[in-house]
Amino acid sequence: MRPLTEEETKTMFEKLSKYIGENIKLLVDRPDGTYCFRLHNDRVYYMSEKILKLATNISRDKLMSVGTCFGKFTKTKKFRLHITALDFLAPYAKFKVWVKPGAEQSFLYGNHVLKSGLGRITENTMQYQGVVVYSMADVPLGFGVAAKTTQECRRVDPMSIVVFHQADVGEFIRNEDALT
Amino acid sequence: MRRLYVGGLSHTVTQKDLKDRFGKFGDVEDVELRTRKDDQGVPYKTFGYININISDADLKKCLTVLNKSKWKGGTLQIETAKESFLHRLAEERQAAAEQLLQQPAADDQKQKLLDSLSKAGVDKFNMKAAVPGTEIPGHKDWVVSKFGRVLPVLQLRCQKGSRARTLKYDPSKYCHNIRRLDRQDVDGSTPVAQLTWQVQGGDDDISKKRRGEFPPYEPPRRKKSRADVVDSHDAAGRTRLRSEPPVNSVHRTEAHQLTNGFQTPTGRRPAQRTWTRDSDIDSDEEIRRMVATQQTSHDALQQGAEDILEVVGHDYLVKSGHKGDKDDDDYDSADTDEIFASRKPPQPQDKPPQPTTGNGTDRKRKKTSKAGEEEEDSSTDDEERLTSKQQRGNSAKQKQKPSVVPVTKLRLPESDSDEEEDEDEDEDEESEPAGSCSDSDYEAMFSNVTHLEISLADLQKLAEDAEQTCETPPPRILSAERETSARPPKKGTTPEEILAAIMQDDSSDDERDKKKKKKKRKGVTSTLLPAFLGTKELNEESDEKRQKGDEDEVKEEKLNSGAAQMNHREADGKTSEEEEEEDEEDEEDIPEPKALKMSSSKTPVKPEIGATGSSSSSDDEEEDEEDKAVQLEEEEVVKNTTVPKVLKMSSSKAPVNPENAGTSSSTDDDEDEDEEEEEEEEDEGEDKEGLSKIITAPKVLETSPPEKAETDSSSSSDDDDEEEEEEHEKEEEHRPVRVVLAAEEEEERQRKANLRRLAAVQQKQKEAEEHKKLIQGALSNLDAPAAAAGGKHIVFGSDDEDGDEEEKQQQSVSELTASRKSLFQDGQSEDEDEAAAANQEKGKPSGHRLFGGSEDEEDEGDEEEDERRFDIRPQFEGRAGQKLMELQSRFGTDERFRMDSRFLEEDEDEDSETKKSLVEEDGALEEERKRNLSILHSVLGVTEQTSSSKTAGKAKKFRDVSALHYDPSREEHAAFETKTDEAKKESKASRRKKKEEAQQLPEVSKEIYYDVSGDLKAVFGQTKDGGAEGEETTNWDQEEEEEEEEEEEEEEQNQEETTPLSSLISADPNAEKQDSSGFKFSFFGDDTETPTAETAEYKVELIQAPKVSWQQDPRLDDSSSEEEDEDQQEEEEEHSSSIAKTTTEETPSKTDLFFFHPNDSRLTEGPRLFCRPAQLEEQREQWEERRTELRQEYRKKHKDARRKLTSSLRS
Repeated sequence: MRPLTEEETKTMFEKLSKYIGENIKLLVDRPDGTYCFRLHNDRVYYMSEKILKLATNISRDKLMSVGTCFGKFTKTKKFRLHITALDFLAPYAKFKVWVKPGAEQSFLYGNHVLKSGLGRITENTMQYQGVVVYSMADVPLGFGVAAKTTQECRRVDPMSIVVFHQADVGEFIRNEDALT
Repeated sequence: MRRLYVGGLSHTVTQKDLKDRFGKFGDVEDVELRTRKDDQGVPYKTFGYININISDADLKKCLTVLNKSKWKGGTLQIETAKESFLHRLAEERQAAAEQLLQQPAADDQKQKLLDSLSKAGVDKFNMKAAVPGTEIPGHKDWVVSKFGRVLPVLQLRCQKGSRARTLKYDPSKYCHNIRRLDRQDVDGSTPVAQLTWQVQGGDDDISKKRRGEFPPYEPPRRKKSRADVVDSHDAAGRTRLRSEPPVNSVHRTEAHQLTNGFQTPTGRRPAQRTWTRDSDIDSDEEIRRMVATQQTSHDALQQGAEDILEVVGHDYLVKSGHKGDKDDDDYDSADTDEIFASRKPPQPQDKPPQPTTGNGTDRKRKKTSKAGEEEEDSSTDDEERLTSKQQRGNSAKQKQKPSVVPVTKLRLPESDSDEEEDEDEDEDEESEPAGSCSDSDYEAMFSNVTHLEISLADLQKLAEDAEQTCETPPPRILSAERETSARPPKKGTTPEEILAAIMQDDSSDDERDKKKKKKKRKGVTSTLLPAFLGTKELNEESDEKRQKGDEDEVKEEKLNSGAAQMNHREADGKTSEEEEEEDEEDEEDIPEPKALKMSSSKTPVKPEIGATGSSSSSDDEEEDEEDKAVQLEEEEVVKNTTVPKVLKMSSSKAPVNPENAGTSSSTDDDEDEDEEEEEEEEDEGEDKEGLSKIITAPKVLETSPPEKAETDSSSSSDDDDEEEEEEHEKEEEHRPVRVVLAAEEEEERQRKANLRRLAAVQQKQKEAEEHKKLIQGALSNLDAPAAAAGGKHIVFGSDDEDGDEEEKQQQSVSELTASRKSLFQDGQSEDEDEAAAANQEKGKPSGHRLFGGSEDEEDEGDEEEDERRFDIRPQFEGRAGQKLMELQSRFGTDERFRMDSRFLEEDEDEDSETKKSLVEEDGALEEERKRNLSILHSVLGVTEQTSSSKTAGKAKKFRDVSALHYDPSREEHAAFETKTDEAKKESKASRRKKKEEAQQLPEVSKEIYYDVSGDLKAVFGQTKDGGAEGEETTNWDQEEEEEEEEEEEEEEQNQEETTPLSSLISADPNAEKQDSSGFKFSFFGDDTETPTAETAEYKVELIQAPKVSWQQDPRLDDSSSEEEDEDQQEEEEEHSSSIAKTTTEETPSKTDLFFFHPNDSRLTEGPRLFCRPAQLEEQREQWEERRTELRQEYRKKHKDARRKLTSSLRS
C-alpha cells in the first residue's frame, strides 16, 4: 500500500472530476478528519487516517481491502471507477439522471439507459459527461456517461441510448468477488 | 413505351429539366423523381424514372449521348428500367378483361350448370335442409357439404414419382372454409390508380410501428383479476393485429409510392386477411375498433414515454430518504407485492358472476331452513357494499355454524387432534382445493368442525333464549356470546387480568363485567391491528378481494370486540394445547357473525349478492358445496359442509391472527395452564349439561332464526354503541338463563378454582420477588470485593428494604449475611432501625461500616482515616503520576514489582518519540493532501487558493438531511431558531442611527461628472437663456477658484508663479473668463440675428474641457521655474492673458458662436489683443511695483507654510 504518484493522482482525479467536478476537493480536504487515497493491488482506496494506521499492521499480501475502493488502474494505467465509489460520487454528483421504475431493473442488470427509461435529467448535461444514475425515488443506482446532451435527449427516439452504463449497484451481487 | 432509370442526378434537378433533357429523344410521358434522404433529412441520392416513347435507335442514341455525361454537378447514369408495376398491372387486368370477353362460353357453361342445379333444388349453390354428403340428383360430382352448400367433388391428380394417381376430395368430408364463388367480388376490384398508398408519416404510435420503430419492451402486467385476464387476451389479439395498418388509411390515401400488392375485394390485403382469419376477426368494423383502441392505448403510452422526461437544474435536491414515497404514483418499485399492498383498488366487480347463481340457489335452499332469511334484499351498487356483501356471504355461512355444531358433536365427539395441530399451516392451502375431492375433504371438514364445540354452552343459552324471547335474534345472541367467548390471547392478557376476571366469575353477572373490561381493552387491540394488516397483505397478495373483505372484517372485529376470554374456556373440554388452537380459530370465526350483523343491519341484502362476495373468494368451493348439498340433502349435513369452509376461509383470511394468538397464548401459558385445567373441570360439567340440551338446541335454531332475523334487521343499526347496548340487553336477558344453566356446583367449583389460582399467583409473585432479591444480592456481592480491599462485604442499607433484606437473608442467601456491612446508612432513618442495624452489626463481628451514620461515635475517628484514604498520594499526582499508578495497578500491590518514578521517564521519552512520529505522519499526510489539492487544481484548471480546509469543507459538507434534527444544545442549530426579540431591539436602537445616517448628507465624490445629453437641442441651444448661463459660468468660476486653492496648498513651493498669475488674473477684467475653461460655440449666428429660432431650438451648454487643457499649461509648466526667469514668465503671462482675452471677451458680448459673422465684435477686438494696450515702460513699472508686492506676499506665505510644516513634524 502506497500513496499515489502524481501521475496516478492526476488520472484518478481527472476521472473523478467527470462526475463530481471540483467537489473532489471535499474528498481530499475533509473537515472531519484526514482522508487519503492509497494504492494497493492497483486499486485505489479512500480511507481515513485512522484506518490507514490500523492497516499498517497488516502485511501487504494479506491485505484485501482498506477503506473504500474507488476503482482500479488498468494495465494501461487508466483509471476505472468501481461501484463502491458510488457512495462518494452520489452526494457530490453534478449531473444526474433519474431512471424510470420500469427501466431500473434493466439498468441494474448492466444495460444502458434508454430514452424510454429516462425519467429526469439534469439540464445542460453535455455529451460524455459523467452522470450518476438515480431511481425516481432518488436512490443512487450507479453511474455512467451521458450519451446525449440534454437537448438531444428531448428529441431522440425512445429506443436510443441516453446514458452509457458504467457501474451499477447490481454489481454488488453480480460481481461480488471482484469488488473489494 | 420505355421506362428509363436516370441516376446520378443532382438534388436541384426538377421534372421539367428531365423532361426537356429527354424530350429531344422521344416523347416523355411521365417523369418520376425520387430523392433519398438520410435520417437528418439531407438528401444524398436523387434518381428518377422516365416513361418515354422512344424508338430503339433513339434510345441507343440517347444512351450514348447522355449516359455518363455530366449534368448539373452529377454524372448521369441511364438504364432501361422495368415497367412500372402499376402499368403492368393495368395491362394485366386489361388482358384479363379481354380474355373474359373472349370466353363467353365458359359463362354459358356455368349458367347451364346453375340451371341444372336449380332444377335439382339447388339455389345459388345452396341446398337448404340437406344432410351433408348427399349427392345432388343428376349431378354426379356435386355434393351437399356443410351448411348446405353445394360443392363439387374434386379429382386431384397427384404425381408421385413416375406414377400418377388421382385423389378424390369430397368437400362434405372436409372443411367449410371455402369461399363463396361470386363473380361480383372479382369485378369489384379497385382501379389501378388507387392501388398504391403511403404510410402516413407522423408521430403517432401506429405509424411509427409501421415504419418499424417499436416502443420499448414492457414486461407484461401481472394479472390482477379475471377482468385483467380478459384484457390481456384482448391485448394478445391486438398484438397480432399490430402489423396491420388501419384500413381507413388504405382507402383514403391516393396511389403514390409504395405498393403493397393487390387490394382485395374486402379492402384488405391478402396478408391482412390471413391475420384476421387467425384472430377470428371478420368484420372491418371490429378491426377498426381494435385499431382505434390500440391507437388510444398506445397514444397514452406514448405520452407517458414522451412527457415524463423532465430536466432539472443543478440545484435539484435529491431526496435523501431511500424509501420511495408510497403515494408517489409514478413510482412502482420492483417489489410487486408492495405495489399490490399499496395500490390495490377495490374491484369486487371484476369477479365473474357465474358461480353466484348456483350458489344463490344453494343459499336459498339453506335459507328456507335457516337464519339466512334475515338477509332480505337490497340492490346496492357501492363497492363498499359489495365488500360488505362479501362479508355477508362469509358470515352467512358462519351463521349456520351454530346449528352445525351439535351435530358434529354428536357424530364426531372425538376427532383427530393431529390435524388440528397442523391446521395453522394448512389453512391457506385448504381453503383453495377444499372442494376438489369431496370425500377426503369432508372428513377434514368434520375434523375442523370439532373446534366449534366451545360454543356449546352458548348454544344452550341461545336455545333457551329463543324459546323465551322471540324478539332478540339468535344470530345476534350467538355473536354476542361469541364475542364474550372468544379472543383471549390476542389482547395480550396479563395473568392479573385473567385472575381478576376469574374472581368475578363467582357472581352471576360475571360475564357482563368481563365484557366491559374487554371493551375497555378494545383500544389497545385497535392500535395493534393496522400493522399486522400490512403484513397480512404481503402474505396474501394472491387474493386481494378476499383480503379486503378480511380487513373489513378485522376492523369490525375491532369495533365489536366485546369479546370475552373466559367463556370459551369454560365451554371447552379439551387439553390445553388443543385449547390454544381452538382459541385461535374462535377468534377467526367469531368476528364473522358480527360482520354479518353489521352488514345486515346496514343494508338488508339479497342472498345472491352475499353469495357473490363469498364466491369470489372461493368459487370452486362453493360449487362443490352445491354438489354436496345435492348429495346430502339433509339440512344439517349441508350446514356441516358449509361450516368447515367458513372455518377455512376465515382462517386463511387471517393467517396472522393465529400466529399472534399463538405467541400471546404461549407467553401466557405458564400462568394460564393451571387455570385452564380448572376451567376444564368446570367445562366438563357444563358439557354434560350441554349435551343433554344439544339435541333440542339445533331444532330451536332451525325454527327460531328467521323471525328473529327479521326483527333484528329492523331494529339494529350500524353503530357499534347501539350494538353494544343491545348486547347488554341480551346479557340481561341472559342472566337468568345463565343462572339456570350454571348450577350451584359449578359456582362452587369456580370458587375453588379461584382460590387455587389466587394461591398460585401469590406464590408466583413471591417467587418473582425472591428472584429479584437473589439478583440484587448477587450484584451487591459483586460490588463488595472491589470497594473493600479486605474482602469485606458491604450492605447497601436503605430504610425500605431493611425488612425485606432480612427476610431475604434468612430465606435464600444465608451465607452472605455473615460478612455484611452497610455501605450507605441513611442518617434520617429511624432510630429503631438504626439500633436494629447496629445490633445486627454488633452481632456480626466481622462486618463494619464504610460510611457510618453520624451518630456513631466510634466511627468518627475512622472517618478521618477514610477521608485520608481518598487523598492522592504525592507520587501519583499529575499526569506522570497517573501513569505510574496505572503501571503499579498492573502488578497489584506486590512489593517486589513496585514501580518507581524511574520507570516513568523512559515512558516520557517514548511518548515524545511517538508524538514526533505522529507529527511527522501528520505532516506527511498534510503534505500529501496539499499535493493532491494542487494536482486537483491543475486537473480542474482552476486556480483556487488552497483554502483553509476547515472553512471550505464546512461550506459544502455532506449532510444527511433526513437525519437532521434540531438540537437546542448545539450552537450551530441556533440558526434554525426564529429570532423575534432581536428584530425588535434593532428596530428601536438602530432606527435612530439609521435616521441620523439618512440625515447626514451623502459624500459627494470629487470627480466631475460629464453629462452628455443625447439631445443636441439641449446641447446647442442654451446660449439664449442668459441667466442660466451666467449661473453656470459663476459656478465654474467658483469651482476653478476652489481648485486653485487646492493647488496652492499642494504646490506651495511653486506658488511664486501661480499666485502672481492669480492676482494678475483677478486684476484682469477678463481673468475670470480665462480660468473658466467653458467653451461655447454655436453653428448659428448671434442671438441678435435669429433670436427666436435659437431660443426655441438650440441651447448651448458649457462643455468643460479636461483640467489638463492647454489653458492651464502655463501654470503647470512653470512649476519648476524660478524667480530669475521673469522675462519668460512675463512673456508667457502676456501670451496667456492675450489668449484669455480672445476667448473670454466673447462672453460679455455673448458672441459664443463658433463662426464669425460680419459684425462680429471679435473681429474688432481680436486684433487689439495683438497690440500693447499701454506703453512698454509703463507696463514694466506697473509690473515692478506689483512684483515687490507679490514677492512679499510669497515670502510671507512661504514662512507660514514652513512654520506649519515644522509644527506638524514636531507634533
